[in-house]
This record gives sequence, structure tokens and C-alpha cells, in this order.
Amino acid sequence: MQPVLKVQALNKTFRIRSGIFKRRLLHVLNDISFCVAEGETLAIIGETGSGKSTLARVLAGAEIADSGQILLGSATIEDDGIRELSCRHIRLIFQDSNRSLNPGLTIGDILDDCLRFNTLLSAKQRLVKIKETLIKVGLLADHQEYYPHMFSGGQLQRIALARAIILDPKVLVLDEALSSLDPSVRAQIVNLLLKLQKESGLSFILITHHLSTVRHMSDQVMVMHKGKIVEYGDTEAIFNNPNSIITQRLLNY
Amino acid sequence: MQLLDIRNLTIELKTADSVIRAVDRINLSLKEGEVHALVGESGSGKSLIAKAIVGALNNRWTVTADRMHWQGVDLMRLSPEKRRKIVSKDIAMIYQEPSLCLDPTANIEDQIAESIPDEFLKDVSIFSRRSARKHRVIALLHKVGIRDHEKVMSSYPHELSEGICQKVMIAMAIARNPKLLIADEPTTALETTTRAQVFRLLKSLNQLKNMSVLMISHELEEIADWSHTMHVLYCGQMVEAGPTASLFNLPLHPYTQALVKSMPDFEQGITHKEALYALKGTIPPLAHLPIGCRLGPRCPQAQKACVVTPIVERSHGHAYACHFPLIKGK
Ligand SMILES: Nc1ncnc2c1ncn2[C@@H]1O[C@H](COP(=O)(O)OP(=O)(O)OP(=O)(O)O)[C@@H](O)[C@H]1O
Ligand code: SF4
Ligand SMILES: [Mg+2]
Repeated sequence: MQPVLKVQALNKTFRIRSGIFKRRLLHVLNDISFCVAEGETLAIIGETGSGKSTLARVLAGAEIADSGQILLGSATIEDDGIRELSCRHIRLIFQDSNRSLNPGLTIGDILDDCLRFNTLLSAKQRLVKIKETLIKVGLLADHQEYYPHMFSGGQLQRIALARAIILDPKVLVLDEALSSLDPSVRAQIVNLLLKLQKESGLSFILITHHLSTVRHMSDQVMVMHKGKIVEYGDTEAIFNNPNSIITQRLLNY
Repeated sequence: MQLLDIRNLTIELKTADSVIRAVDRINLSLKEGEVHALVGESGSGKSLIAKAIVGALNNRWTVTADRMHWQGVDLMRLSPEKRRKIVSKDIAMIYQEPSLCLDPTANIEDQIAESIPDEFLKDVSIFSRRSARKHRVIALLHKVGIRDHEKVMSSYPHELSEGICQKVMIAMAIARNPKLLIADEPTTALETTTRAQVFRLLKSLNQLKNMSVLMISHELEEIADWSHTMHVLYCGQMVEAGPTASLFNLPLHPYTQALVKSMPDFEQGITHKEALYALKGTIPPLAHLPIGCRLGPRCPQAQKACVVTPIVERSHGHAYACHFPLIKGK
């Protein structure tokens, strides 16, 4: 099958201070390559500082890699540090969704902004789209009049999800987006994500330390350590038979 | 022997126009050497209960209880000074964000040294106390699995990772050999590998030193394999309590069942990517708690009778509070 997302040899370094005058290059992403097929989920696990969030931000275009390519379908969206800006097919959701929502705007305004900046839809079409999307994530059309503070944690995560899928992306990157949720609410969001994937063939990149969620939701797992891929393969195979010591340490818990 | 025995603990918050009952008549008992898990999602009052036990709630909160016995002594009836003395001798507590609980202006050696009580050193002559204390600090660090003690001792909290900070907190907590360690979500700020280390450490302290642990968590999975007994809370109400294994295998309360079933555990025959069992709705905010059984609006079994708070009953070795338990009879 043709992958939706293909990443080839991504590299990213940060210049960090070490000592008073010296500066040192920190290789945060080191030759990262992988691909994700339509309707599939790739889970990324790894210790703190292994580069997971940096990879997520690079994929979503919030940060630019030094070298390497990101391909979506047959189009190249990033090539050796040059980003084609109009790409809205990869969207990012992170842990503190409430902090990323403007408290002074209603949910309707937040979603409308997103459409106005990224599409050519008319006001009327946008309204239809907003209502549709809210219902898709299990909220009510009336919720567009509400402000972020009027929602619970689980509902805010649904709003973040609405904002991410309203542009009909192909790939959704979830950086610890499920971690801060309570178990009974997390189960609902997991179900919602699985439903969206089944209905619209959305692909997920799931970054989480919650291993049972990884096992349940993902088709493939990629294990990162100090910016490198140490293991990459089918979820069941890796859970049943982890090869590298790093994976074994992460899994036997 | 019963270490801690609490009956009908109620914690209320006075606001301008009403009184909110954040914890509603909870019973809790803990034996010596036991690991007891207190499980509940956000807003269930877990941390409030822990703070009420050690007497750390400020006076906006009203705490009442029929009894709160610590080794047979009712803490509620002691003077504040006496209570503080008993609590600081026997009970230690660790928290969710270790780096925020440590003093940012002092190095780790001084902070741990300070938590070692003077009477532990009373056999040592005045002149060698300093070095005796230092040796104890090193021993404590080794005990919590920090081998590189020189470097850690001279560091300040911000120079260390959350995982090391949490181990330092544990070292400080066990410095006075407490009988009970209350751990309030000690691993939420930590990553998987360090998490496992902290759990292993607490487990070994329990086994080697017979130290009881009251383990507070919102994640059932975390405490499943190593707590002896557990107590499930929802919105400040008692849900179900009993031996951990038995609660997992035979939940009587709809909420316990929902928690167990929502874990995508492969043994339970859920196939890959299948929808998980989930309760509808979300956790109500403290200011809008439903009357009667607080699970009511989300409960698949709810009926008219549920507007009256269910009383605690016992069967199959569990205590549970539900009008329509999943399995009837003894
Ligand atoms: N803007 C930046 N400048 C300098 N260094 C950075 C920057 N962003 C990230 N880093 C460093 O890059 C490394 C990887 O960070 P990243 O946030 O990608 O890790 P992570 O795998 O997401 O960790 P976590 O599990 O804690 O979320 C870390 O050592 C971090 O300190
Ligand atoms: S008392 Fe009623 S609402 Fe509460 S858990 Fe039992 S059946 Fe559900
Ligand atoms: Mg991260």
C-alpha cells in the first residue's frame, strides 16, 4: 500500500550552551525515517528528551528540520529545511489543550478563525462545517457559543480534536494528548479517535507513555532514544519480543 | 494490627452561598505492613483525604469524623501540637511534583540531613555528629537507588531530573523510619522507566521495613499488581473497597466495573482497535454534584432509588455503596 506520510532521513540539531563560552550542537533528531499508511497508527515511545516532541513539532510544521524530506502522498511538503507553507494536512494536538485555546474567544470563533485562515469557504459554509465537526467529536452544535473555561478536561480535548480535524487533515499527531485525562474519560476519547479513523481513514502518530493504549490503538511502534530510532516494527511483534534493551526497559513495567 | 482506622470522614468547603461536601462519609482502614491503594479520578477527593490525615488542610475546610484512630489514638481529639508530634514521627508524605516540594535554595545534602531526627544521633558524640549525619545521608541515598551520591548531594533541586527529585523526596520521607508513607500520585511527573523504579523502591521498602503505604492514584493499572487492598472513590463518595485482586475479578459496583473494563487489557478478549467500555458523560465539577449517588447521571444501572445516597453494604468480602450491585447476595 502507498503510505500517506513518508519521512526520510530527518535531522535536527539545537545549539545549546555548555560552559560559559562554549556552545555545543545537540543532535535531537538523528536520521529519522519511517512511513505511515492510510488509516493506520504509528506509536512513538521513548524516554524524556528522546526527541519525540521535537519530531511532532517538525511534522506539524511548527519547527523546521535541518535536512531530510517529509512527503505526504506523492507531494513533498518539506525538503532539506524548506517547508511548503500551505500544508494543513498534518495537525498536532498536545497535552494541555486548554492552554492552547484562547480563553477570550468562543469555541465557534476559535474554529471559524481556523477555517478563515486556511480555506476559501464562505461564512455560511464555515458555519455548516463548524456544526458538523462539533457533532463529529461528540459535542453539540450549541457548544459554539461557549467559552473554553466552561468545559471539562475531557470536553476540552474534544474541542482540540475538533480544531485539528476541521481542516480535514490526513495525519493527526497526538503528543501525550491522552495522558492527562482520567481513565473513564480517556476511554471515550480513545473510542472517538478509533471511530474517526475507521470512518475517514485518518492516520495517527501517537506519542504516549501509556503502554496499554499504545498496544490497543497502534499498528506500528517506533522506539526513540537520544534522537535515534532504536526499534521500529509491528506493535504486537515488538510487545511480544522486544529486541533492544531500551525497548525492554520501557515495556517491562 | 489496625494502623489507621477512619469512620465517616467528611470534608466540607464553605463558599459564599453554600457548603460543598467534597468528601462524603468515607471509611478507611489500613493494617500494619499493608499497601493500600486509594483510587479515584480527578475531583474524587483523594488528596483531601491524605491531607486531612496528616492535618495539613487550611481552615477554609471543615473536617469531621466519627473517629480517626492512629494506632488506637483518636487524632481528632488531640491538641494540634500533640497531633503534629505523632504525625511527624510516624507518617511521611510524598507528592506529585517533587521538584516543587524541595527547597530551591538549599542543596540536597542539607535538605536530607535536616530531615534526620536528632534522637537518631544521640548515641554519637557531639564531635562526630557532623560526619555521622553525612553518613546517614549517603546511606539514605543508596537506599533509594542513587549511587552517584557525591554529585546529587552537592546539587540543587533545579539541577536534577524529576525522577531523582522524587527519589530524594523518598529518602527524606524514610529518614525517620515512618510507619506509614502516604504517596500522593508520586509518579505522574515521571517517565515510564523511572516510574517503574519508584514503584519497585516503594514495594521493597514495604517488604523490607514493613512500612505501610497508602498509595494514591487515578490509574488503576498502576496499582493493580502490588497493592494488597484498595478503595475506590468517585466524587468524594465511597464506591467499593476490599482486596485488590477480588475487586478486579469481581467488581460489585458499576463504577469499579467501568474502571476495570476500560483498561485495554488483552486478556479480557477485546480485539485490537475495538471500542473500549466507557461510561457516558464526564466527571461533574465540585459545585454541581448530583444528589444521592453521585454516579447517577453516568451510571448504566441507575434507577429512581439512586437519588438517595446508598449506604455501605458488605458482600463477597467487599464493602460497596450501590442500590443495584452487579452481583446480589453473599
Ligand atoms: N528549542 C530548543 N532549544 C534547545 N534544545 C531543545 C529545544 N527543544 C528541545 N530541546 C532539547 O531536545 C531534546 C529532545 O526534546 P523533546 O522535547 O523532543 O523530547 P521528548 O522525547 O518529547 O521528551 P518528553 O518525553 O519529556 O516529552 C531535549 O534534550 C531538549 O532539551
Ligand atoms: S446507586 Fe444507582 S446510580 Fe449509584 S452506582 Fe448504584 S445503580 Fe448506579
Ligand atoms: Mg514531549
